[in-house]
Amino acid sequence: MFDINLAPMLAQYYVGDQYRDTGWFGVLFTLMIALFVLFNIARAGKGKDLYIRRIPGLNAIDEAVGRATEMGRPVLMVPGLSDSVNAIVVQALNIFSYVSRIAARFSNPILLCCYNAAIYTVAQEMIRDVYQQEGLGDRFDPDSVRFISDRQFAFAAGVSGLILREQTAATFFLGDFYAESLIFAETANSIGAIQVASSTQPTQTPFFIAACDYVLIGDEFYAASAYLTRAPVLVGSLVGQDWAKLLMMSTIAVGSILGSFLMGPFSQKMISEEKVAGEYKPTKGFDEQPGPRPVKMEDTIIHQLLTPAPKGDVKVKREPDPDAPAPTDAAAPAGGGE
Amino acid sequence: MNLDLLAQAATPPSFWNAPHGSTELWTKIIIAFVVGIAFIFALMAAPHKMRRPVVAFFTFISGLYYVLYYVWPVPVAKEPGTLPLNAAENVGFWLTDALPVVAKFSNVLSGFLLGLGIFSLLRVHGRRLFKMQKDWFFSLVLILSILLMVVVGYWDWYTRLDPKTSSKLQDPANWTSINVARDFVFDGMLQQMDAAMFSLIAFYILSAAYRAFRVRSIEATILLATALIVILSLMGAVEYLWGSGVASMFGFHDTVLADGTKQTAAEAMTAANSFGGNFTLTSIRGWIQSTVQTPSIRAIDWGIGIGALAMGLRLWLSLERTSGGNS
Repeated sequence: MFDINLAPMLAQYYVGDQYRDTGWFGVLFTLMIALFVLFNIARAGKGKDLYIRRIPGLNAIDEAVGRATEMGRPVLMVPGLSDSVNAIVVQALNIFSYVSRIAARFSNPILLCCYNAAIYTVAQEMIRDVYQQEGLGDRFDPDSVRFISDRQFAFAAGVSGLILREQTAATFFLGDFYAESLIFAETANSIGAIQVASSTQPTQTPFFIAACDYVLIGDEFYAASAYLTRAPVLVGSLVGQDWAKLLMMSTIAVGSILGSFLMGPFSQKMISEEKVAGEYKPTKGFDEQPGPRPVKMEDTIIHQLLTPAPKGDVKVKREPDPDAPAPTDAAAPAGGGE
Repeated sequence: MNLDLLAQAATPPSFWNAPHGSTELWTKIIIAFVVGIAFIFALMAAPHKMRRPVVAFFTFISGLYYVLYYVWPVPVAKEPGTLPLNAAENVGFWLTDALPVVAKFSNVLSGFLLGLGIFSLLRVHGRRLFKMQKDWFFSLVLILSILLMVVVGYWDWYTRLDPKTSSKLQDPANWTSINVARDFVFDGMLQQMDAAMFSLIAFYILSAAYRAFRVRSIEATILLATALIVILSLMGAVEYLWGSGVASMFGFHDTVLADGTKQTAAEAMTAANSFGGNFTLTSIRGWIQSTVQTPSIRAIDWGIGIGALAMGLRLWLSLERTSGGNS
């Protein structure tokens, strides 16, 4: 147990509870990525032409909707099983807006199945907007965007039933998918639908690869709206993400090389001092006797950046609040309006 | 251990709460309701150009709270009824204490939206039922199931409101017919049907694996070979035979140790830290998982994480203005 009085040790230990393990380095790294994104958005806004590589799964969208139109069957879209309207859902709905726009132009029916009522509301507004922007507001069927169920397998059963009954010609599964991913993909495969899928859960990506025609892997899902719309803000953001990936790759490469030199089999560097609880102390060599020892991962600068404070329970001395209510044995009354 | 940990502190008085059942609480609820409705109408009546900055402002403020909540240093070992040590901790205390209030805003909104979801379901299936369209019978079953679950669920909840009755109802012997009905429709039917749907995945995995592992290209062949190694390494008999074969090639055989325990040839090879130990199925599987699979998953995770960060940033700063593009 570390008994810490924060006042004198502020600079050394007070990093916030969430940073005791990881340190500020992670936040600075995240801020740097955010800066990359914002900088490139500004750069793209000035008309700088930025390149995006070809993504087959996104090229297939037009083909899939065209095929559905030829067959006179609906296009089915599922924005995953997110519990709320988060970034993943918004991204999926952005792609679905593009799909719906093409479908609206060809008067092709669509079906958008929602797992969550909040997503249903947002999706309905977005798709209605798309039809109105195309001047086809009267063709929008409010029942084409449906709330199915907020239970995982009830939703799976409902969507599978729709796929089979409506004989959908193209299906788009984009978003957060879990165990039900294969139920959707195999059901759609059984009726010969063209499938474009992507899951932000890496464990489900292999299932989609096995059962679907086109799969967007990892961040291709987030690249989709930039790829489809070529809007400067989105393209700039994508380039910013690539910069972040380059930064990470170079960090890994430089770290591997330096680590190999420092701790590799040909350079067993010995140290005679180690950092213990923020202070440098003499090391213990063989037989626990004072003396130099080979360098370990914990001695590296990067490790110390990421783990600046000692782990374990910490107690902080604070003054009691005279206005605080006294603790009671009974639970706080329900519905207190807090 | 301090047994007082079991005691819960009453909610500290603040602008956001009031005593349970008090006039102040009801006044606050009514004012919040009226202000909320007025705000929605004002936003609807406002010109389009004005709406965007208002929405952007509230999006930024809401996002800012969560950004600060995650980034600002959380007070270390915060205990109820204590004062912050400094200005940084003061903000940290405020952010931590405000979380339940902010979370309840989200809960209230979700409650309203769930109503809209149920309305969507009833509209689609009610129309099909009243117009006797194709498969109307399934719509009837759905609507009856919703009604049954709502009635039984709420009735059961009502019988458990009293703490004494609730504790008595922990024992199924004391159940009334409504408790039995809830157990039947929820645990007896709904949960079992969920499990039945889940079990279908086993068959789907088989059919998907059959298609994925067909030797059609170099990639599919690599996939097949890798899957085969992983599958075989999980089969005890195959793993044993393979291990024994590799061990005999490196000069190891089944032995009996000094303490009488038997050691297989593969175990002896591993214990001797022989180079051949790298060629047992378990070792190859371990290498595939740690050297190929895990880094790939981490790379995908990293890409997804950056993508989500960029997307979140665009949403927070209201830079995301397109909706499906125009091309």
